[in-house]
Amino acid sequence: MADERLIDTFVELADTLTDDFDVIDFLHLLVDRCVELFDVEAVGLLLADEHGHLRVMASSNEHARVLELFQLQNEEGPCLDAFATGVRVSSADLHSATSRWPRFAAAATEAGFAAVDALPMRLRSQVIGALNLFHARSGALPTTALRSAQGLVDVATIGLLQERAIRHQEVITEQLQTALNSRVVLEQAKGLVAERLGVTMDIAFTTLRTHARANNQKLGDVARLVISGHTSTRDLLASTAVRPEQPSRQRQSRNPE
Amino acid sequence: MTTADSVGPGARVRIWAAEHAASTGQPVSVAVLCETAMDRLGVSGVTVTVEAPPGWPETRYATDQLGARLAELQITVGEGPCLDVWREGGPVLVPILDAPAIQRRWPLFGPLAVEAGAGALFALPMAIGTIRVGVLALHRTRPGHLAADSITDSLAFAELALRLQLDRHAGAHPTADADLRLHAPEVHQATGMIAAQLDVSLEQAFVRLRARAFADQQPLAELAADVVARRQRFDPAGEAS
Repeated sequence: MADERLIDTFVELADTLTDDFDVIDFLHLLVDRCVELFDVEAVGLLLADEHGHLRVMASSNEHARVLELFQLQNEEGPCLDAFATGVRVSSADLHSATSRWPRFAAAATEAGFAAVDALPMRLRSQVIGALNLFHARSGALPTTALRSAQGLVDVATIGLLQERAIRHQEVITEQLQTALNSRVVLEQAKGLVAERLGVTMDIAFTTLRTHARANNQKLGDVARLVISGHTSTRDLLASTAVRPEQPSRQRQSRNPE
Repeated sequence: MTTADSVGPGARVRIWAAEHAASTGQPVSVAVLCETAMDRLGVSGVTVTVEAPPGWPETRYATDQLGARLAELQITVGEGPCLDVWREGGPVLVPILDAPAIQRRWPLFGPLAVEAGAGALFALPMAIGTIRVGVLALHRTRPGHLAADSITDSLAFAELALRLQLDRHAGAHPTADADLRLHAPEVHQATGMIAAQLDVSLEQAFVRLRARAFADQQPLAELAADVVARRQRFDPAGEAS
């Protein structure tokens, strides 16, 4: 992981902290850069809602299997532990983590991952979420990489909370709840697109994202426009190479995803 | 029965609302929820406005005149925290209404709200993504911050109000799930898929999803997962009711 790439990433992230800020785009940028910088397989960022449920806000890999690995960690796993304790939680070899996290370790190794790190997102005395790194090979990340990763996590926290001197819980709540709601809008849009185009959720996500980039729009805005009908399926297809499968009524015999 | 202290905010507000309802011999309704929230959150009053249809707010219940007045003012002047929740996508919490920044933000509503006797106003969306059902508004006659615990509980009250209002829209189906499983992404994905399958709004799609979960006695998140995996479909002919 080159120092220059890391510096570029910090600059890139800082550049997005403008009036035009879109939290979903920002967090997706962060997770994608983490994959490159730390040479890992998958990265996910989770935030806790008011009930303490950890919700995926952005993932470098939107395949159902990977997303489920994040979701599972509401019951057990490194993210839950990092969220509860406020410290980094790692496993260099998931095969030997089966007594620590029986369900999670089994699901993660089955998905092809061998090691994992979870870094807490901290704001003063609160832990608001966690960043999850999944590795294809066993072994621990070097200390410098872990420090850089925590630095990026801290940038993510600042980017999310958008205020340099947050004094009151009201501001934190407004911004976290707004961010959580943005992800819900994205999930609703994914469902609409997946159904209309006859594709899986991760392809629906990619379609929305490709359209946003091609038209210089925020992903969050595209999601809303698709839901409201202002952006049509035809508009989305024009920006991508995706072609729809059979029309809805003929898809009864389709295999489950 | 679990005590309110030992559970999360969702269960806690349900227990409180049930206790209040039982003590007054009524079922849990939006009115009961507002009165319970007022008691429990340390605020002067609670108001629920609903959007029926979306974009047309009307006051569903107000615990006092001031709450109703604040809701009415915002509709009249076309600005205010309860309208801004839709623009921001999240709560708009104003602990001190009589502050220069606030008066600048809402130049019409700000002074009128203070004049009407409001010191603080906390507006929470009753919403699921783009599904806009209404706003839960808490007001105080004196300015002041909401305690962190009260903020958490107020979010849970907003979610309960959302559910009560959805139940009302759906013709008061009791449902298999006490909570809406909003943290499960497949619920939202399924909502989108059903909206496309039936060519209806997201809100109607969500109502249908809940209705089928109840009819089939299946947990909501499980049915949602079936829809996403395409093991279950919603067909316009089959959804005639």
